[in-house]
Amino acid sequence: MFEKVLIANRGEIALRVLRSCHERGVRTVAVHSEIDTEALHTRLADEAICIGPDDPRRSYLNIPAIIAAAEITGADAIHPGYGFLAENPEFAETCAQCGLKFIGPTPGQIRQWGDKVKSRALARSLGLPVLEGTELATNMDDAVDKATALGFPVVLKASGGGGGRGMHVIQTEEQLRAVFQAARSEARAAFGNEELYFEKLIERPRHVEFQILGDEHGNIHVLGERDCSIQRRHQKIIEEAPSIALSDELRSDMASTIRRAMKETGYVSAGTLEFLMDETGSLTFLEMNPRIQVEHPVTELVMGIDLVAEQIRIAEGLPIELPAPNLAPRGHAIECRINAEDPDTFAPSPGTITEFHMAGGTGVRVDSGVYGGWRVPPHYDPLVAKLIVHGPTRAHAIAKMRRSLAETIIGGIRTNIPLHRRILEHPAFEEGRISTRFLDEFSP
Amino acid sequence: MKLNWDQLRELIQLLDEANLTEIEVKQDDQRIRLRREPAAAQAPSVATDPAEPAATAEPQTKGIFVTSPFVGTFYRAASPDDDAFVEVGDRIAPGAVLCIVEAMKLMNEIEAEIEGEIAEILVENGKPVEYGDRLFRIEIA
Repeated sequence: MFEKVLIANRGEIALRVLRSCHERGVRTVAVHSEIDTEALHTRLADEAICIGPDDPRRSYLNIPAIIAAAEITGADAIHPGYGFLAENPEFAETCAQCGLKFIGPTPGQIRQWGDKVKSRALARSLGLPVLEGTELATNMDDAVDKATALGFPVVLKASGGGGGRGMHVIQTEEQLRAVFQAARSEARAAFGNEELYFEKLIERPRHVEFQILGDEHGNIHVLGERDCSIQRRHQKIIEEAPSIALSDELRSDMASTIRRAMKETGYVSAGTLEFLMDETGSLTFLEMNPRIQVEHPVTELVMGIDLVAEQIRIAEGLPIELPAPNLAPRGHAIECRINAEDPDTFAPSPGTITEFHMAGGTGVRVDSGVYGGWRVPPHYDPLVAKLIVHGPTRAHAIAKMRRSLAETIIGGIRTNIPLHRRILEHPAFEEGRISTRFLDEFSP
Repeated sequence: MKLNWDQLRELIQLLDEANLTEIEVKQDDQRIRLRREPAAAQAPSVATDPAEPAATAEPQTKGIFVTSPFVGTFYRAASPDDDAFVEVGDRIAPGAVLCIVEAMKLMNEIEAEIEGEIAEILVENGKPVEYGDRLFRIEIA
């Protein structure tokens, strides 16, 4: 068993990991930038080490500083959270070379799923249904040929991208000619990889993803799905579990297909396979995220499990320990991501939180890394809290979320709570008529 | 921009005289923010963000502090058998090696940025240091 875990992250996910560690009797080391000296993760950890200035490239992304912090504190393992270094295979490798256990998949597995074109090919070879798409487009003429063969409209995507970043919807050849070079430079700047490819555009897709856990003993568990269709500019803002779009039959078929596929790759730790569902209800593979995800709590609530505790157990070499062998979702859970941003213009709104009162009561969970009086720094992502509710049915969960949003008071900064309230009140949301185009189509 | 000791002192004076709580100066890739709590009237604290060891000034203590640019282990000498790079009372010139901060088996030599005298050595040999920890106090003649 680990005695001390270093958490290489900040904000709510650093606290999320810290809580599972402390419940397990594992001591924690927080790392922080200068501006995060009074952050909650810094204050609640058993030890805290300042690893650099505010710029994340010199602190939370600074591999030598994080490894040195683990060395001087005598940590056994590092949990990367999500974002920052969570999907950096060199970081996972460096941890191993320095005798630190990386709490996550192997460097090879991170690499395997990191490149989108390669991960599509891998998924296909594993028997997963993969969205129609092309190989890499080598130049403008090749891009036009490939897109035409696939048939417009298409989505132009960066092979090094993912998580909804680096994609363009292209309707015509002229449009493609106009954006191709810019998209290429953009991909090179954002991901250090200028390779682009095409996928067929699905007009009104739902985003449905499956949570998996694998251990070093060859066990793979598929822990149901999440529906993350409510997005703004390809960034999820509301997630729920289970998805009302899946029949029990489709759910169990997908679970066995995924279990078989992931067993073949020997996947270790938590991961998520993301799919798009078209209007006929068929699912095609989008990407695999080899890490814990922001929206993992909705799965935890309906399955009654602690995914981060399982990640830690798995990293210790223990087998997965679930409350029952074939877990089925119980009730319905919804998560709203509360961001420090203007609810209408979506401009970031950093600043000092003057008042912080989160909802409570039965079936309400709050994962947050902030507190009243704390100044939200402008250097990092704008997520200030995740409000998660669990009720016996979707209708109960919606009622609970409406009530919880109404109770929540965050003063001093602007948040997207008003937007969440409008979505939760919208008849189309209530009826489950949702797709990734929801915000464009209904402008709630 | 490279702020020298006099310019820093001027900024501190300005903060005091104009009764401001915060001044931020940004030029090229260096940013200096001086801030003081409105209640604590006379002690502005200095936060700097340079690429090299930072200088932190407090009016009540003479000199400037050399802070650690890395997380790691602080060593006063190149090896256990060698003499310490510097002792209290030594005169130093810019470029003089003051200590080593070891991170990931890499020995990073920390050099003096200014001319002065080592007034205080604030960390024991072999102890871990964080980013920004004060290592030395240097008095400027």
